[in-house]
Amino acid sequence: MSLKMRRTIIAWALMGPVAVVILFPFAVMLITALKPADEVLEPHWWPRNPQWSNFVAMWKATNFGPALINSLLVSGISTLLAVAVSVPAAYALARMPFRGKGAFRQFLLISQMLSPIVLVLGLFQLVVTLGLLDSKLSIILVYAAFAIAFATWLLQSYFTTIPRDLEEAAWIEGASRATAIRTVFLPLALPAVAVTCIFTFVQAWNEFVLALTLLRSQESYTLPIQIFSLVAGRYTIEWNYVMAAALVATVPVAIVFAVMQRHLVRGLASGAVK
Amino acid sequence: MKKISCLASGIALAAVASMAQAGDVRISVTEYSSKTGPYFQKMAKQFEEANPDIKINVEVTPWDVMLQKLTTDIAGNANADLAIIGTRWLLDFVEQDIAEPLDGYIDDEFRGRFIETFLSPSVMDDKIYGLPVAASARAMYYNKSLFEQAGIDAPPETWDELKEDAKKISDLGDGIAGYGLQGKEIETDVYFYYPMWSYGGNILNDDGTSGFGSEAAIQAATMYKSLIDEGLTQDGPTAYSREDVQNLFKQGKVGMMISAPFLANQIKEEAPDLQYGITAIPAGPDGDRGTYGVTDSIIMFGNSENKDEAWKFLDYLFTQEPRSEFTLGEGFLPVNKAVSEEPAFTENEDLKAFAKVLPDARFAPVVNGWEEIADVASSALQRVYLGQATPEEALSRAAEEANRILGK
Amino acid sequence: MSEGTAPNAAPVPTGAVPRRRHRQGRAVPYLLILPAFLLAALIILWPLATITNISLHDVNRFGQLRGFSGMANFSELWRDPDFIATLWRTLIWTVGVVGGTLILSVPIALVLNRDFHGRALARVIIMLPWSVSVTMTAVVWRWALNGESGMLNSALRAGGVTDTNIVWLASAATAFPIQIGIGILVSIPFTVTVFLAGLSSVPEDIYEAASLEGASDWQQLRTITLPMLRPFITLAVVLNVIYVFNSFPIIWVLTQGGPANTTDILVTYLYKLAFRFGQMGQAAGVSIIMFAILMAFTLLYVRLVAKNEAQS
Repeated sequence: MSLKMRRTIIAWALMGPVAVVILFPFAVMLITALKPADEVLEPHWWPRNPQWSNFVAMWKATNFGPALINSLLVSGISTLLAVAVSVPAAYALARMPFRGKGAFRQFLLISQMLSPIVLVLGLFQLVVTLGLLDSKLSIILVYAAFAIAFATWLLQSYFTTIPRDLEEAAWIEGASRATAIRTVFLPLALPAVAVTCIFTFVQAWNEFVLALTLLRSQESYTLPIQIFSLVAGRYTIEWNYVMAAALVATVPVAIVFAVMQRHLVRGLASGAVK
Repeated sequence: MKKISCLASGIALAAVASMAQAGDVRISVTEYSSKTGPYFQKMAKQFEEANPDIKINVEVTPWDVMLQKLTTDIAGNANADLAIIGTRWLLDFVEQDIAEPLDGYIDDEFRGRFIETFLSPSVMDDKIYGLPVAASARAMYYNKSLFEQAGIDAPPETWDELKEDAKKISDLGDGIAGYGLQGKEIETDVYFYYPMWSYGGNILNDDGTSGFGSEAAIQAATMYKSLIDEGLTQDGPTAYSREDVQNLFKQGKVGMMISAPFLANQIKEEAPDLQYGITAIPAGPDGDRGTYGVTDSIIMFGNSENKDEAWKFLDYLFTQEPRSEFTLGEGFLPVNKAVSEEPAFTENEDLKAFAKVLPDARFAPVVNGWEEIADVASSALQRVYLGQATPEEALSRAAEEANRILGK
Repeated sequence: MSEGTAPNAAPVPTGAVPRRRHRQGRAVPYLLILPAFLLAALIILWPLATITNISLHDVNRFGQLRGFSGMANFSELWRDPDFIATLWRTLIWTVGVVGGTLILSVPIALVLNRDFHGRALARVIIMLPWSVSVTMTAVVWRWALNGESGMLNSALRAGGVTDTNIVWLASAATAFPIQIGIGILVSIPFTVTVFLAGLSSVPEDIYEAASLEGASDWQQLRTITLPMLRPFITLAVVLNVIYVFNSFPIIWVLTQGGPANTTDILVTYLYKLAFRFGQMGQAAGVSIIMFAILMAFTLLYVRLVAKNEAQS
């Protein structure tokens, strides 16, 4: 038996139980999603009469399409915004000495310590003051703000591993600092930026408490609250639709993970953690 | 810098866009089922066709988070013009001057549309602060096939009979329990008030102190605990919310349970073959009975700037046709007299059973901190059901805590 | 910005910027961090100020201030035995979830770092819980844990593990460990990713050199891998403690802190106070206390780690 074969067996023997526990809820989702209404409450595993049409019915019944578009918009724009403000901040932290650097780092860490639910009342009043209630812009701003700390940390620890010499060589050739950043630094920083985007996007995609508080009308609902509204305190819950919706909402993110997992790790592997 | 000014102008733009037009009416509604949102959208559309100068904006919120949403809305001074609230929350809205008294809009004809029992919980200090939009009472559902198999020919009249019947049904085996007992989340306390009322107890004594420590309350809790100990309820009642027990009933796994009219609607859709009956909640040794009446009310906010328009919409919502459609769709009891006389209701056996128990209906007491008191009671009961405390210990402690909240 | 030419051709030592540039561009780093600072400060400091203000006032259930009350909200909390019990339970919850996550994530990361057949698949599986919002995960588990119609019981019965239905959520004795387990499960993806990053930053040649000197796998793990992982472990601990301490959906969806408040943690207690009982002042007080605890923990922990590193 080859060494790799042996490693494979050991690896899967160790990973197996974890994988089963992780996959269990997904199996529950899939199987419940396939059950017709009168089988939903029966605990048997494979439905006697699998209803793939549940997915189509769910799409209509839960208003899935508009919520999907909202989620994509909100997550996408907030990610862009977070990255747009985090890249310069991370560059400053990684490349420039300045008074108050430590304080700024600490401020970022502190900004991670407040959970949205703790801040919900204050956030709401802020959003009302800004006149942004029920506007998607409100959660875009809030998501971006909550993402800044992690994004900046991730970016700056990657930036410190990009050799300074390359930029400086460009200066010598007469390029301005801004040009050097654009032509030399940013292309090298791209993997980290991509990873930061994924992290931020996933956080926003799954966020729940704030969206629930700040969005009012069904037209602006994102997927998590659209799905949650199917189970929260209704007198009757259509579990098969709920599970179908939850599963479909998972797919885009799962695909991104599958494609990007190698880069995810590489982007984080930024040498030392600062 | 460019980025920042971009952001700022974006904010300004959105602020303008989200400003409400005069004549717009915002209504926050709770979501009772998947039909609620579409119903109100339809009503808004019909109303707008008849009143082209008024625009109705419907905001649908899941029930579980309605109170949170109302709280944040009011704290941020961004509440709607109209909202559905649990009538048991109304006191706070009235005391803090948030709800607008509606008497100025209500004439005799309008008032005459309502069944008095359901309007009265929304009346405080002789003023009407809310209009009942959803009403229900509770009665006992029983599974006719299980009763037949167990050789019982009629549903129980008293709690003693209920216990005997539950034993016969539980003896059928196959994981079937006689009585479905709710022990989790909202209305866990209510499930216990039923026998407490039957034994002659009350939530509040005449002097306004808590009745949880009374002899009747302890008797009721002891009776429930004996059902659990003798295996006459489903296993682990503290894991079962109302919806969970209803699911057991739909599956034919419990013989009896107490619930609201909407369970009948669900059975028709999800378990159409189930043979069930609806009867009164069992009586106590002295023939006392009680059922829980619940209403939700639409209130108008005192700070609304479009009160006349909002009232017009209310006036429309409470005419016969919209009411009839809502009540039938959601499976509530009619609150309009005219609706209650429609054949859809008078010829419905299930609803007739509920109409019969209405005279025994009691509503949540109108006191400050009621939600907290209900939580105290639920926690005490859970300790009893889990065997962590005797009924005497748990309930007398609950009574003390309730009295502290009541300021007695 | 001025077109800058470096004053001399010699490589500039890391961390220093040419002096002339430094003087001219003193404002530059501040301009660069300004957008991030403004956005974060607006969204986070403003609400924090609001909450602090509420916690010092007598407020009605709708968060409207009714008069200054000093520390009354806080002393009310200290008198509540439920609050103290909840404080302790939050500690167990946080230590349990973060500890369990670390214990599982280190070996998982070690395994995933070595090449084996199906590694890409294994990595995707480990990442999967991240692709569902925690709220939905909790909803699915609640559904699966149902005593009678739950699929966990039917799976366990089919697998011959038990022959009676276990009512998982009936008491804290089973419910709370399960909640901790779900907490661990949803924390694994992030933690493993951080550790994988750490592992891939360990240069291969160190291992080769160690092998040549005859170090066993176990020795390599202890003397090379774990020390190199240390900064990543610190990071994972700090961030996980913050996230888990503040985590709301798992406990709320499964038990709402019940039965009889035996699974309440601070966040769920806060939510009940604020939005069910209308005790806005006390709820704001809990927010402030939670914030203070996290601050204290982070400062202490980071200092402790720094000290340890200085020693070793």
